[in-house]
Amino acid sequence: MTWRMGLALVALCGLLIASYIALHDLGYIGTIACGTGGCETVQTSRWATFLGIKVAVWGVAYYLLVFALAMASTTASFADARWLPPAMVGLTGWGVAFSAWLTYLELFRIHAICRWCVGSAGVVTLLFVLALLDWRMARRLNSPGARTGP
Amino acid sequence: MAKTTPNSGRAGTRGAKSPAKRGFYIVILIVAVLGIGGLSYMATSPRAGANQWDSTLPKLTAMGHVEGSDSARLEVLEFADFECPVCGQFATLTEPDIRTHLIDSGVIRMRFMDFPLNIHRNTWNAHRAAWCAGDQGRFWQLHDVLFNQQDKWNGEATGNPDGVIADYAKALGLNMDQFNKCVSDRKYQAQLQANEQEAERRGINQTPTFVFGTKVVPGYLTYDQFKAEVEQALARQAGSGKQ
Repeated sequence: MTWRMGLALVALCGLLIASYIALHDLGYIGTIACGTGGCETVQTSRWATFLGIKVAVWGVAYYLLVFALAMASTTASFADARWLPPAMVGLTGWGVAFSAWLTYLELFRIHAICRWCVGSAGVVTLLFVLALLDWRMARRLNSPGARTGP
Repeated sequence: MAKTTPNSGRAGTRGAKSPAKRGFYIVILIVAVLGIGGLSYMATSPRAGANQWDSTLPKLTAMGHVEGSDSARLEVLEFADFECPVCGQFATLTEPDIRTHLIDSGVIRMRFMDFPLNIHRNTWNAHRAAWCAGDQGRFWQLHDVLFNQQDKWNGEATGNPDGVIADYAKALGLNMDQFNKCVSDRKYQAQLQANEQEAERRGINQTPTFVFGTKVVPGYLTYDQFKAEVEQALARQAGSGKQ
């Protein structure tokens, strides 16, 4: 499995987590499975909405974009797209920053931890690491030495 | 000779799919099908009770159940949802101490204001049942049982919350004919809606939320935190009384 395949698979897991929270927030799933009870506190706090839209819905859109790009990157058409690896690093890096802000709010403002949000933060961090590894490999393969070969 | 590209080794060969790539697509498909299937199941499983706002019901003034003396120095409001786990945590861990040290001693009285959140599947059933128990003077007893047994009747545990809660009512010695009629007639639906509307009017956006005089405090409180809020509210009350 390549780094890009890993990116797609992990992004899909993130998409499912975000969808679960979003469906709960939109009232389609009754009670969120959260042993600590912190999920309810977090999801009903005033920080659960960003720019008028539920944060979980933003999460669904974000993971959908990352998943689509990662899937595209595994195809022959995008295999050599030089813009893709840095774009993925930027996109997942932004996700890490946003998750860090949400985790800060949970710890210091809301005083409750939602394990699904922590899961999502873990997923986005893993995506960032995979994106960095993929970019490093792309730079190595695209370097003049790699092109010429022995 | 096949044309190679710098990234072809990573992205797979052009043209025919390699076994590794086929395996990858199969894994993606399996995860997607299992995930979407699970989410669909959770989203479409039957919901108990109709929790929608009924605008045809007569308008009522918000009010809640009160525990404590009329002559208590301070009234503390609690906006709570019977299916909210944090409210359950407060009711089982903090509230016994509040009763012993603050309510029974006449320092405060607590007013329980219903704020059933529609994200909870069975909460309206619990609130209706608690009010019906209140008809027979057993609101607080059922209140305690509902919070203690939350995991037995909540939306994840059962699709028949009325049946489970009726067992609690029976164990409390309620007149079951009267209780069942009250629940099935949704006798207090309009009252509950008035209380829910009151919470929204006050800008309450999470449960539990407490009101100490003029100060609104959202979230779980330990007994020490609760007591500190009471003392501050009493001090504010005394300060404004002197002016």
